[in-house]
Amino acid sequence: MTAQVPVAVRARDVLASEWTKLRSVRSTYWTLLVAVATPIGLSALVAVTLANAPGNGPPVDPLLPGLLSLEYAVLAIGVLGVLTFSSEFSTGLVRTTFAAVPRRRAVLAAKAAVLGALTLVAGELVAFVSFALVQGVLSGKHLGVSLSRPGVPGAVLATGLLLFVVATMGLGLGAIVRHTAGGIAALVGLIFLPAILALLPAPWGGRVGRFTLLDAARQVTALHPAANLFAPAWSLLVLLAWPALTLLVAALLITRRDA
Amino acid sequence: MIEVDQLVKRFGAVTAVDGLTFTVRPGHVTGFLGPNGAGKTTTMRVILGLDAPTSGTTRVNQKFYKELVRPLHQIGALLDATALHPGRTAQAHLTSVAQSNGISRRRVAEMLQLTGLEAVANRRLKGFSLGMKQRLGIAAALLGDPPVLMFDEPVNGLDTEGIAWLRQFLKALAADGRAVLVSSHLMSEMAQTADRLIVIGRGRLIADTTTAQLVESSTRKDVLVRSPRAAELAELITARGATVNREDDGGLAVTGLDAPAVGDLAAEQGIAVHALIPRTASLEDAYLDLTGESVDFRTASPGPTSERQEGAPAR
Repeated sequence: MTAQVPVAVRARDVLASEWTKLRSVRSTYWTLLVAVATPIGLSALVAVTLANAPGNGPPVDPLLPGLLSLEYAVLAIGVLGVLTFSSEFSTGLVRTTFAAVPRRRAVLAAKAAVLGALTLVAGELVAFVSFALVQGVLSGKHLGVSLSRPGVPGAVLATGLLLFVVATMGLGLGAIVRHTAGGIAALVGLIFLPAILALLPAPWGGRVGRFTLLDAARQVTALHPAANLFAPAWSLLVLLAWPALTLLVAALLITRRDA
Repeated sequence: MIEVDQLVKRFGAVTAVDGLTFTVRPGHVTGFLGPNGAGKTTTMRVILGLDAPTSGTTRVNQKFYKELVRPLHQIGALLDATALHPGRTAQAHLTSVAQSNGISRRRVAEMLQLTGLEAVANRRLKGFSLGMKQRLGIAAALLGDPPVLMFDEPVNGLDTEGIAWLRQFLKALAADGRAVLVSSHLMSEMAQTADRLIVIGRGRLIADTTTAQLVESSTRKDVLVRSPRAAELAELITARGATVNREDDGGLAVTGLDAPAVGDLAAEQGIAVHALIPRTASLEDAYLDLTGESVDFRTASPGPTSERQEGAPAR
């Protein structure tokens, strides 16, 4: 009855199914709200503090408030990523999913695509809104930078990547660990524990730190890249490698284990 | 059609399914019976491609599950009705399942109507009773209008009305020419629904038969006779064309001659009879006999059970 169904149609079917799943549970909206509202509010606060700091000249990178505040969204968006797969394992729904779509990697890819698209849009929204807020406050003190300045648009765009990176990495960990709490613990461990290594004495801090997700993110989004880390282009690769490797491991395991 | 061929599934040291072979044919409700832990659910999970077999194969409509494109059009299954995201509505759940196989929203609405869930379609599933979840699972299984259906213990959680509804429903699906496999650990339930039976215990096939055959072969009707001159009496009974089986305790199990006839025969020959007990066994007993050896977790008996059929000695 459905002998020949083109691959593109099958991919569209699975994408539609996963999109329905993602938008039909409240946790998606709550985690997104926290991940969007927290950094926007925080960046405005940081900007006000900076603007009112005594002394002259930009004490820090004028783009840093935007990124710093986004780092506070990491946990919320990470939870969303982990939940997107782990909730299927904890409820047993995954058996319905895999029976309907025996190509499990297609399910993983579809989840990554819809979650990735959603968090990319949300991340860029936060990045540009935060940028506008921060520069709006800082420009009053002539500390701000304009979006037309070379390097700025790229840095802001890169800032917006962080939510996407963490969400898809969480998704992969949810599929690997198959347990919500365990997945979140793994995510927090992989993101924040290596950051401690960056505190090692020079030159080791930089040598190890440049491979960590957070330092890579700071490097990608900095207007004045740090000298002891990778160049921004390489740091972007490091940043994207974290979710890519996690999803790769998930893809390898997902067909090998009983559902 | 479902074909299971030499299926073995081990979980570490535990062998859940041990060389199982059977076929589920279209046009019948096939009961899949066995005690808890016999391997029914594991077998169904392998059929759906969820668990990988240790060895052996399973096919649905002549194809390995992995080869199925849009499998919901080939086989609909309900394994665990509670395996749902509690925050999703019935409508959203069914829609997501339907979309994955290119099934229309109209079909989703039809299945909600068919299973009587229209009124609660927009409620979150955490408020659903087990019976409502069973109905939702059946709706999901039917989405693709598949020729093969498989239900794992679907009666659990249904009320009397729901059970009657399900029974008619399963029969109607089979009458439609579909292959329907329904698991249960209750013989009484299956006897009223299934016309074919596959009985397993400890992962092995015990019986693959029709319900009618099992009833016939197993509805044991015999007469237990005890006599101090049992050997003599046995010869006389055999001479009348009846069958005698010696029981371990010296009693004679007579088939083919009823209790009055045995009593009269003994009286004619002046043979004393200490007990003369007509015995019958129900289908449930037959099932227990079949699976008795294979129960993993036996409950302790409060006393001797072998005497339960016997009354006071007759003279």
